[in-house]
Amino acid sequence: MESTGSSGRLWELQFERSSGWRGAFTVLTDSAPSSAELQVPGSLAAAVVKCRVELAQDDSWRMESVLSKYENQITIFADYLEEFPDSDELVWILGKQHLLKTEKSKLLSDIRARLWFTYRRKFSPIGGTGPSSDAGWGCMLRCGQMMLAQALICRHLGRDWSWEKQKEQPREYQRILQCFLDRKDCCYSIHQMAQMGVGEGKSIGEWFGPNTVAQVLKKLALFDEWNSLAIYVSMDNTVVIEDIKKMCCVLPLSADTIGESPLNTLNASNQSKSAPASCPAWKPLLLIVPLRLGINQINPVYVDAFKECFKMPQSLGALGGKPNNAYYFIGFLGDELIFLDPHTTQTFVDTEENGTVDDQTFHCLQSPQRMNILNLDPSVALGFFCKEEKDFDSWCSLVQKEILKENLRMFELVQKHPSHWPPFVPPAKPEVTTTGAEFIDSTEQLEDFDLEEDFEILSV
Amino acid sequence: MQTPQKTQSLRPFKQRKSLATRQEEVAGIRAKFPNKIPVIVERYPREKFLPLLDKTKFLVPQELTMIQFLSIIRSRLVLGATEAFYLLVNNRSLVSMSMTMAEVYRDYKDEDGFVYMTYASQEMFGCLGSEQILPSSPVHVKNQCSNLRRDGPSPVCVVDNPVSEAAPQ
Repeated sequence: MESTGSSGRLWELQFERSSGWRGAFTVLTDSAPSSAELQVPGSLAAAVVKCRVELAQDDSWRMESVLSKYENQITIFADYLEEFPDSDELVWILGKQHLLKTEKSKLLSDIRARLWFTYRRKFSPIGGTGPSSDAGWGCMLRCGQMMLAQALICRHLGRDWSWEKQKEQPREYQRILQCFLDRKDCCYSIHQMAQMGVGEGKSIGEWFGPNTVAQVLKKLALFDEWNSLAIYVSMDNTVVIEDIKKMCCVLPLSADTIGESPLNTLNASNQSKSAPASCPAWKPLLLIVPLRLGINQINPVYVDAFKECFKMPQSLGALGGKPNNAYYFIGFLGDELIFLDPHTTQTFVDTEENGTVDDQTFHCLQSPQRMNILNLDPSVALGFFCKEEKDFDSWCSLVQKEILKENLRMFELVQKHPSHWPPFVPPAKPEVTTTGAEFIDSTEQLEDFDLEEDFEILSV
Repeated sequence: MQTPQKTQSLRPFKQRKSLATRQEEVAGIRAKFPNKIPVIVERYPREKFLPLLDKTKFLVPQELTMIQFLSIIRSRLVLGATEAFYLLVNNRSLVSMSMTMAEVYRDYKDEDGFVYMTYASQEMFGCLGSEQILPSSPVHVKNQCSNLRRDGPSPVCVVDNPVSEAAPQ
């Protein structure tokens, strides 16, 4: 192969961006291999050596950058990238089950359809003078974007929508994608998220945890009039039904009519259902439950409950990772979690002249990655999407049945707002950040007196 | 974000006192306050965000639920409602929030008669390569110190070589 001149360069760029690299390992792709794929040697080591040699003749900057990309890929391979085994097992992906043996291609295309957000570089500097790449720090933010994008897909396209390369997609798909471009004017961009993180005590470029990203999304959603999502982030492992209903029930003549979805769907569902308790209009709910399932490793007693969440039809998966590396978990196979990994640095992609976005780099075409659930870092956040009130009601009964039955509950679901908590205030566009002020009130129930050495005696 | 007021690293309570001493202590306090549960609350040693409590030993009414107790500790630490805060029993269990202290005591008390609880926020996620990025940017200072405190397997993610950042467009 020619490795000099502009054609060599072109090939590299294509190689960098396309699915060529994956071709060697994923036998199960539906599409015919591209020419780049055919040139990839069968063995990974050989591929790296070959690239090294070819690239050595090119400028060294390009070589280093491309090589680092491959190193990136290599670490991914080390991280259990092998094909799904041929077995009779069931795979659960975001509330849908696939039979591994007979539905493999359906399974793979279901995973490929998820929007995949990775580190990017060469976007406009955050805040004007900040970083222009999130490599090294943005992985949890990217996972948060992926979870939210999945919520928007469920809202506008439905869980069963599937994506095909270069196939024309519904208008909403492009609109969803454009919420996440790395530009300050996109409502869930890396810029918006990093800057909203400042209110959560995170300076720009600082690492986020699952709860941080949930809090940031909750605030950003207030500015997103297109989707008018209600985002509820639970506190102290406790989901309060009353508070969620308060947040999601909106009066019929509210901002909800601005949304894309035709009003008559809401009306229709109301007319057909005569339950007096249901509210006239329901804001689509993104429910996030941040948890810590152990101190430095996951307590195995939570494994089953954690997996159970991926079976719920409302599932948006989970934010989490292994130490340092954030992943977006979308399902499981046996004791392995299936995830999308943001740790690949791609170049910023903007809208094209016709107003659309080339979405090639926003879907992960390689074999899905898996890791043993016991390697999970205990800091996680579960996500669920309830488009209508009945979805939330059925989520509640599923949780009753599957989560609360356990001796050690992974989280709590209660009807009423706990009386000792500060009152529930649905989020509103605020400038101020929360202080601890509202919590100080609750100390009045405490009487402190230090009589027994350094014991602190609490009374009700 | 709060910075801990006290920075001296206390050894865990269990290591500071012998089993016999601790047992004696429990026996004494239980005799005096039979309706209160002796609880040790300590910060996770690798916790980076939550402040230290000024007390370690608590005598807690046995009818108090975990969620009430959690709120009390939260208020002691002056935490905001959106800050992650978790209280784990025996370093591993996230006991049900509706459990009473008496139930927690029944199920989880140590051989010395105390219940041990550890509090922690959530871990943060990122790659160790982050310091290399944009050294000119002042906002990267904070996470460098947090990197030093990470344990676990060495990170495997490789970020783009900074050379490429500086390269001409």
